[in-house]
Amino acid sequence: MIAIVGAGPAGLAAAMTAAQGGEEIVVIDSAPRPGGQYWRHLNQVEGYKSGRSEKYFEALRERKNVIHISGAQIWSAVPGENSITLNYLADGIESSITVQKIILATGAHDRAIPFTGWERPGVMTPGAAQALLKGHNVMAGQQILITGTGPFLLPVAVGLAAAGADVVGIVEAHSPLRWLMSPVALALNPQKALELLYYIRKIAKYKLKIRFNQAVVAFDGKSATIAKVSKDLTTKKIVSKVHCDVVAAGWGFSPDVTLGGILGCKQIVDLDGTVIFAVDNHQRSSQPNIWIAGEATGIGGADLALIEGRIAGLSALGLGISLRLRFQRYRLQKFARALQVSYPVGNGWQGWLRSESKVCRCEEVSLGEICSSVTELSANDARTSKLFTRAGMGMCQGRICSRNVSEIIGVQTQCQVTDQERIAYSNRPIAAPISLGALTDGIK
Amino acid sequence: MKNPDAIVIGAGIVGACAALSLTNAGLKVLIIDRGTVASGTTGAGEGNILVSDKDPGPELTLALKSRDLWFEMQEDVGDSFELEAKGGVVVARTDDSQLMALAQSQSKHGVITEKLDSVRLHELEPYLHPELSSGVLYPQDAQCQPMLAAARIIQSVIARGGELVMRSKVLGFNLAHGAMKGVVTSTGEYSSPIVINAAGTWAGEIAALADSYLPVAPRRGFILVTEPAPQYIFHKVYDSDYVVNVASSDADLQTSTVVEGTRSGTILIGASRERIGFDSTMNYEIVRKLAAQATSLFPILRDVQLLRVYRGFRPYAPDHLPLIGEDSTVKGFWHSAGHEGAGIGLAPGSAALITDAILGRDSFMDPHAFSPKRFAEVLK
Repeated sequence: MIAIVGAGPAGLAAAMTAAQGGEEIVVIDSAPRPGGQYWRHLNQVEGYKSGRSEKYFEALRERKNVIHISGAQIWSAVPGENSITLNYLADGIESSITVQKIILATGAHDRAIPFTGWERPGVMTPGAAQALLKGHNVMAGQQILITGTGPFLLPVAVGLAAAGADVVGIVEAHSPLRWLMSPVALALNPQKALELLYYIRKIAKYKLKIRFNQAVVAFDGKSATIAKVSKDLTTKKIVSKVHCDVVAAGWGFSPDVTLGGILGCKQIVDLDGTVIFAVDNHQRSSQPNIWIAGEATGIGGADLALIEGRIAGLSALGLGISLRLRFQRYRLQKFARALQVSYPVGNGWQGWLRSESKVCRCEEVSLGEICSSVTELSANDARTSKLFTRAGMGMCQGRICSRNVSEIIGVQTQCQVTDQERIAYSNRPIAAPISLGALTDGIK
Repeated sequence: MKNPDAIVIGAGIVGACAALSLTNAGLKVLIIDRGTVASGTTGAGEGNILVSDKDPGPELTLALKSRDLWFEMQEDVGDSFELEAKGGVVVARTDDSQLMALAQSQSKHGVITEKLDSVRLHELEPYLHPELSSGVLYPQDAQCQPMLAAARIIQSVIARGGELVMRSKVLGFNLAHGAMKGVVTSTGEYSSPIVINAAGTWAGEIAALADSYLPVAPRRGFILVTEPAPQYIFHKVYDSDYVVNVASSDADLQTSTVVEGTRSGTILIGASRERIGFDSTMNYEIVRKLAAQATSLFPILRDVQLLRVYRGFRPYAPDHLPLIGEDSTVKGFWHSAGHEGAGIGLAPGSAALITDAILGRDSFMDPHAFSPKRFAEVLK
């Protein structure tokens, strides 16, 4: 049996491919519906090629050899001899499943960066605004301002506008001219021009206003302060205030590497500072019988995730990978690299904050407290600072703030954040919270 | 600092306290650590300052003095590290005769104890399992936030003329005619006639660099950390098996329940003990066992979520006593290590013993039982 963890584009493509080989497939996903962050449809949502997920959903529903376990949080995994046991929680009840092979397609979540007022209601990630719309048919607010960096801001803005939201603007921190640094990636991916044209037309249709080289640096609950920023996000000057009740801010993505980390799959640090898995050209991890596809092997978007999922599915069946598939992956990887080059997230955001601005929202730890753990208590890495200040110790276990805390310590101590530290803060032995009662009842 | 009067190896709680004590005695102290402040066992502990888990003997004498020194040190350092005399409640799960006998003998040696009947036990800990009916209250048991404590103490040392060098790994020692001359590290050489090895679980490796022998081995422990919960637990609560396990030399896994709340609302659950070297592999069966023991003491914890698990390595000596005193061969080379799971509690007392011995002063107790020379004699 092959277990596929995650039902986003990579997991679904892997499931469909592996199911065609006749193997018993189980797809385990934390969401109630398949689709992952990107395809979480309830209603039809406007977006480029948004209908292509249907055939994957159909395979999941119709194929006799595919079981879909939804709403299941895997909290731990234990490798055995020639098998791997996954322990998961569904409705508070713990179950486990033992399989021979695993394809991890655990995806990524938006990276959030603090700014003054980001702990206020109304501040969320674009992914959350999209999830509210797609998953629950709820509009995040009356007047939505979208900020951050990267092409993902466009489908979010268009999706929200098409559903009737008042999108008061898109504030993109970088210039589209930065794509000119990656001519080979553009030449290899002419199909992406169609996608871009699609969104340009939609932006015109909904009269969306885009600003470049600017960012939201503060929010007071009623209006957002917008500043012109340099390449590393340092504020150059405040340019305007925009009235809005929602700020959807997204600064790239953080892959979810927890489960693969528990299983001992080798991790590396990508160009953009994210921790990802090292895989070979069959999407095989460093551990036997574990394949990894999608964002957890490098942020690259749904198109690349679909190809990687297919390759992982084929390889798990013991089949070869065609040159065509390899080329498709290659060119999309080139494109992914160009994305990283075009939309970097520098450390200039640290200057947006005041000393009392919260960096860790769960434990309410401010920038000032983190800085004084360095100057007064001699913390010179994130782990030590966290032990002193409790930053990253709350409900989210640092999934949101760990990287930001590390970057702050790096700037304060004038030391580069080491790969070892990045890998340390990206991993945790408990992949999801579990009640002590469930743990007790699970004793063999 | 070019020529410190003394060098302390290790910026954990034991090194921090030793450095403060020497500084207060007028010495210029340099602290070096291969990592950062509290990056070893101190950073993986609960902050136990216990007298309840010790049998009468030299360790209990040290623990009692050390506990008082903690409160003096808080006055001295003038800063908060969440020191709190919260008191310990030891619960007998079945037969309470062993526990009552221990409490009786402890009380003859300066430990304050109160035998608890069912009513009083549930008055102190209303969420305890209703069938538990006997225990002992130890009001002297205390707790601190050990990482903050180490950092604040080291900050005082620096403010009083000392220095801290982090990410400095000891590579060797300069010795002359069997006497300490200084330390060779990855960040340079430091000369000093006095070096204190406070490297905790790694103290044996440091001793070996001076061709000496210190039998300190790791004893692994896991601690469970829950989400912040309402206050269900008012003391440090543990079952009487804990005392038996602490004193055991068994290499196999032992678990006994220790449950307590913290100021941030999270609940800490321990304690497992295994001697399997520096193996940091996660073991979910131990996690389950600790959870089960905690929920059997406090059924209300069944609905509380586990958020995180951390592990640490206690520095363990074969006879369970710390190693405090001068090295068996090298003059001017001192050890304060091997405190096992009691390092936070015993740190200030150990620091006082070391300082007194270095300065040739009389101490509050005879430190002979802790002398590192006891193992050298065994070897001969």
